[in-house]
Amino acid sequence: MNNPSPPSVCFYFQVHQPYRLRDMRITDIGRGKPNYFDCEKNEEIFRKVARKCYLPANKLMKELLMSYPDFSVSYSLSGIFIEQCKKYGTDVLESFVELAKTGKAEFLAETYYHSLSSLKSIEEFCEQVSLHAEEINNIFGQTPKVFRNTELIYSNELAQIARLMGFKGILAEGADSILKGRSPNNPFAVPEFTMPKQITRIIETKRPLSKEADDITVLLKNYKLSDDVAFRFSDKSWIGFPLTAETFTDWLMEGGGRNVNLFMDYETFGEHQWEDTGIFEFLRSLPAVWKSLGISALTPSEVIEKWKEERDVFDSHSVISWADTERDLSAWQENLIQRSSLDDLYSLESAIKETGNGELIELWRLLQISDHFYYMCTKYFSDGDVHKYFNPYESPYEAYRRYSHALHDIKERLNSFRPSQCQDNL
Amino acid sequence: MPIHSLMFGWEYPPMNLGGLGVACRGIVRGLTGNGVKITLVLPSSGAQENGVEIISTDNPLIKTFRVKSMMSPYDNMKDYALRATSNPRKFAQMYGSDLQDAVEWFSDSGLELAKKADPDVIHCHDWMTYPAGMLASKYCKKPLVAHIHATEMDRTNFQPDQWIYDTELGGFRSADSIIAVSNYTKDILVSHYGIPSDKIKVVHNGSDGIKHNPIKAGPIERKNPLVLFLGRLTIQKGPAQFLEMAAKVNEIDPKVMFIIAGDGNMTGELMTKACELGLSRNVIFAGRVSSSEAHHLYSHADCFVMSSLSEPFGLVALEAVEHGVPVILTKQSGASEVVNHAFKIDYWDTEKMADCVLTILKDKRLSKQLKSRAFKDIRHLTWENQAAKIKSIYENLIYSMKSSD
Repeated sequence: MNNPSPPSVCFYFQVHQPYRLRDMRITDIGRGKPNYFDCEKNEEIFRKVARKCYLPANKLMKELLMSYPDFSVSYSLSGIFIEQCKKYGTDVLESFVELAKTGKAEFLAETYYHSLSSLKSIEEFCEQVSLHAEEINNIFGQTPKVFRNTELIYSNELAQIARLMGFKGILAEGADSILKGRSPNNPFAVPEFTMPKQITRIIETKRPLSKEADDITVLLKNYKLSDDVAFRFSDKSWIGFPLTAETFTDWLMEGGGRNVNLFMDYETFGEHQWEDTGIFEFLRSLPAVWKSLGISALTPSEVIEKWKEERDVFDSHSVISWADTERDLSAWQENLIQRSSLDDLYSLESAIKETGNGELIELWRLLQISDHFYYMCTKYFSDGDVHKYFNPYESPYEAYRRYSHALHDIKERLNSFRPSQCQDNL
Repeated sequence: MPIHSLMFGWEYPPMNLGGLGVACRGIVRGLTGNGVKITLVLPSSGAQENGVEIISTDNPLIKTFRVKSMMSPYDNMKDYALRATSNPRKFAQMYGSDLQDAVEWFSDSGLELAKKADPDVIHCHDWMTYPAGMLASKYCKKPLVAHIHATEMDRTNFQPDQWIYDTELGGFRSADSIIAVSNYTKDILVSHYGIPSDKIKVVHNGSDGIKHNPIKAGPIERKNPLVLFLGRLTIQKGPAQFLEMAAKVNEIDPKVMFIIAGDGNMTGELMTKACELGLSRNVIFAGRVSSSEAHHLYSHADCFVMSSLSEPFGLVALEAVEHGVPVILTKQSGASEVVNHAFKIDYWDTEKMADCVLTILKDKRLSKQLKSRAFKDIRHLTWENQAAKIKSIYENLIYSMKSSD
């Protein structure tokens, strides 16, 4: 029997912190310039997560990158996260720069505001990706080549848009509904089709990279193995508990394929899974086990280069994501208040941009952070409590109340820029 | 053989006198729907003199006895005494010149009925009926279920009458099982009465199902948004907090109207307060309302606020939801455990309460979502479903008593 070579592994960690909204009141609307955000809380949470996760995890990661030649990783840092680093933790940003300096950490592209703009406005989407790419270049001295959309929101169309933007790779969820029994452990091609002219024209003028890519490869998250670490690691009722690096590697080998994509929130290390669960020790021991078995951990760009030929097609007509068991858009679009807030927000786009007022545009973009809509999700009332765990507010309706006040306020501000026009309906 | 429950409960009130009578009727109907036979003993001012009156119903599983009594749900010493003095002297002498005597008279009458009833289980509702339940349980040697709809702590804002508290405590301790109407109430029993939590089962209240379409009825065109309060005007229900909220809403939107339906010992002071707050044009005191009047009010309300300081359940919240009215509930309530799609606030935070009211009034999409989703929240809470849980509590008690014989 053949003894096929073991798959490689690709680690990608999402690093993001939203801006949480202040307890605004109706009386604040249109009365000067209230701050929409709870700066104190945002700083407090940032420092807490920095202490529990970012700093110790980066320290460990640097050690591993230095010690193991065949071990690389990748990150995507939202622009909002980088902003918060500058405000609340230059130590954190510095530690990411250290990782970049090893030459073995790839930084991916995403929307600067961790937004849902890909669903709402191609123009805004392109602008945000460009802003982000520029920022990554400034800080880490590397231009992103691979794109990951907010919460791995993905479709055929989006893959083409990313290609036209110049990216040679894109990440997505290994959704069962689309894989239909195929393994996520292989790089996939995307279906080819022609985009409408008006869209390609917008992309051409606003794309983050100098020219479009000839081809794009999609890397699919192996959600079973990823979630074993991200969600189940400390679950004592789980059959895999306690998970060791050896067992995990066995599972990884059993799955076969060319490359296993382990995509997860970076906060898994120390924040979702606390230090006392042994998560750092687990991470520390992986590269040694992998080395002994000849498994290398590659960056997304390396995986894409390595397996350019022999790709099957991943055909995702509908929009998928990595959120919840549904792996669709329902985490942000499940109910009426979510949909209407999102529609309202993007309906302001052209008017806001026409003002040319940087402050107003920035504020409008901060209201695009996808977490605002995630917190309004009411699915958890009936199933699961992941939303509840991640919700800084007491309820989805509290999230909506605050958001709706902020949205009304920004409309009032907008109106003050165009007094000649009649007031927007409140 | 069906399970036979001897129940000391409360009459369905002709006027909206609070949830106790409504809940008792729901539980009785729900239990018979689950095949339980009930001998129901009710204190009643309308009963014939000299004792006990049998009421016939068309449900063969229910046998009802009314015991002449001047007790009324939510009584305290003062309210009872006031009522006693307004009745002929001989009544008071016979059925209790004070509340203690009245409870004793009811318990003794109950015992006489228990001697003939031969029940499998005894079930009593709130403290005034606990001594009756305890006597009957002791005589019949059958398990006792103490149902708690409201504690003295809830009624008095945690400043209880000692005798009433002790009577409650006696009932809780003697009971073989306690049914609390919410986890909120269960927690009060554990923390303020020292009852072990494994003795307390939570069965949320139900509702008689939807007789009305949740879409608003009535052709009346109103210009002014309407915010509704419905409940006894006592400290427990937080009418003062409701008024404070109204004043804050009024500052921002003077068009908004407020209806306070119900009466109680705070009526006078609330009316004065409303005037002091400059709300005389915006607040309507509707007094005690019948259920059809309540239906009418719900049908026209744009928002319902349950501002209770401590609310074991709060059936009015369910009624509002059934009528398709968006609700704002205090976190200090049992209803907030079952209605997910609502704003939930602390009773003291009247500023946020006002903000929630204004948000609902100005936002049709929010209002629409709250209506339709909250309605789904409570669909499964029928009295029949809830009574099935009570029946299984009966069965466990009866089974464990038999197996320990």
